[in-house]
Amino acid sequence: MAGSSAQSSFRHQALRAGHRYDPSAASRPILVFEDVYKSYRADQPVLRGMSLVIERGEFVFVTGPSGSGKSTLLRLIHRTEQVDDGRILFLGRDVARLPDSAVPALRRNVGVVFQDFRLVPSWSVFDNVAIALEVIGLPQRLVRTRVGEALERVGLAGRGADPARVLSGGEQQRVAVARAIVHEPALILADEPTGNLDPQLAIDVLGLFEDIHETGTTVLFATHDRSLLDVRPRRVVILDEGKATDVPQGLAESDAMLDDDEFEDIDIEAA
Amino acid sequence: MDSNGALVSRGMFGTWRAGRSDWRLQVLSIFSLSVAFVCLAAALLVVTNVEALRDRWSRAGRATVYLKDGAKEGEVAALMQALSQTGGVSRVRRVTSDEARREVVTNDEALAALPVEAFPGSLEVAFDDSIADEDLKTIALKLRALPAVETVETYERWTERLSSLLGGGVTAAACLALIVLAAVISVVGSTMRLLLQRRKIEVEVLRLVGATNGFVRRPFVLEGATQGALGALFAVMLLGLLFLIVRDRFDQQLANLLGITPSFLPWQVALGMVTLGGLLGAMTAFVSLRKLASV
Ligand SMILES: Nc1ncnc2c1ncn2[C@@H]1O[C@H](COP(=O)(O)OP(=O)(O)O)[C@@H](O)[C@H]1O
Ligand SMILES: [Mg+2]
Repeated sequence: MAGSSAQSSFRHQALRAGHRYDPSAASRPILVFEDVYKSYRADQPVLRGMSLVIERGEFVFVTGPSGSGKSTLLRLIHRTEQVDDGRILFLGRDVARLPDSAVPALRRNVGVVFQDFRLVPSWSVFDNVAIALEVIGLPQRLVRTRVGEALERVGLAGRGADPARVLSGGEQQRVAVARAIVHEPALILADEPTGNLDPQLAIDVLGLFEDIHETGTTVLFATHDRSLLDVRPRRVVILDEGKATDVPQGLAESDAMLDDDEFEDIDIEAA
Repeated sequence: MDSNGALVSRGMFGTWRAGRSDWRLQVLSIFSLSVAFVCLAAALLVVTNVEALRDRWSRAGRATVYLKDGAKEGEVAALMQALSQTGGVSRVRRVTSDEARREVVTNDEALAALPVEAFPGSLEVAFDDSIADEDLKTIALKLRALPAVETVETYERWTERLSSLLGGGVTAAACLALIVLAAVISVVGSTMRLLLQRRKIEVEVLRLVGATNGFVRRPFVLEGATQGALGALFAVMLLGLLFLIVRDRFDQQLANLLGITPSFLPWQVALGMVTLGGLLGAMTAFVSLRKLASV
């Protein structure tokens, strides 16, 4: 019955976005990877017994060479991919063992932002953000006020009526961020969200995630842009050889581990 | 062609904004479905009218008594007298060879070349509508035994022929219904495939934000239902138009000869076809979406 109770809890949670998943889970880590294995091809394992603990309210950079599995890691949390072995506990529930029917509810508890924005170009800015609330079935009146608030938080107040396609890259990414936060998820996953933006815009968007973090949301920020890691001392997790290595003191100590040049290169396949 | 082109408005039934700028695809689908439905509707129209014809004739209560060439006037007059006094007979009319010839031969030269003897004289006997089949048969049997009578046509065989024609029509309609089924499945199925391709980004975004399968599929199913129903509706309307044209040309003589005027599909059948189209469209869309798009 564990599966079905997880399912109903997620449903419950989905209707009251932003609330605690389970009172007793408040003190527990929000996200736990236990000995996770994942490979797309048998001869090329991506994650090999990876373990990682992320506490509630943390801001964590996930970094590592291109192809090290940063995107894979995030997709596993979001159940776009399935683990081969091991456990991923999100709010105390094993994501890997959720029935398919509970996956939508899981996703409503997580916000995701990608390098390529993933907006519907023909929809208005408003509609692109509102969809995250409409899938929950929120009344239109509430949708309007909450989308308005989210757009204000990302600095796009008044742009709701514009079609998404006319916005600049930086603005489109802000719309994507608004969509990721509008339902007040407990966790935000960002997969190279600054990858398509020039350096100044990248810093701006990072600032946006930091603001969101300030409000108590846990942020998992995958990037291979080293300059972002230097902006502020943050927890950094390096993915390499299929394992996660925690570097809590910031980047200074981790320099030794980032010895390969490849890490600095812009990776076209990073998305 | 933006939000005002949306097939389903936002919020309605909790659907997302699908259907904008896909109207060409929808029209094409509706047109293809109409073609299939018009065949079915036409077959049903034929069945409807043949059935009416058979019903009319099965209680037509008339007979033609063909007289022998050598029948004497006295015998014929006595026969007419006797017939008109028989219970159930409402009218007796004499049709001479000449009259028969004139009725058939108007301006056809080949027919005109035939001798008068080719057109036998006859008595047209009309019965009351209430006459029982058995009584009619008995009367016909007695008449056949008379020396002046060549043969008696009670049109029973025509009723039988119409019945068998009707059976054929029903079979044809059933086959066409199967073809319509196949057409709806293939047309709506491939339209759904194309629509899904066009809305790839939309569907991806929906998955991203945690839309359930039902939420993603709903607009597609509504569109499938709309396409099916409109396809059937247009077919019925088109057939109705053609029917009006044909009926205008249907002259009174022909109507008198057949004993009926052509009638259109009963409204229940027309409504049933539209409902069937809608249901089939919705089901096909649902099944296609199940196959093509799940979590
Ligand atoms: N859908 C996929 N099918 C097959 N291989 C994949 C797929 N996604 C990622 N990979 C492979 O898995 C490895 C890790 O990819 P990814 O998680 O995208 O790394 P990163 O985001 O760190 O660059 C790479 O070698 C990549 O080629
Ligand atoms: Mg990546």
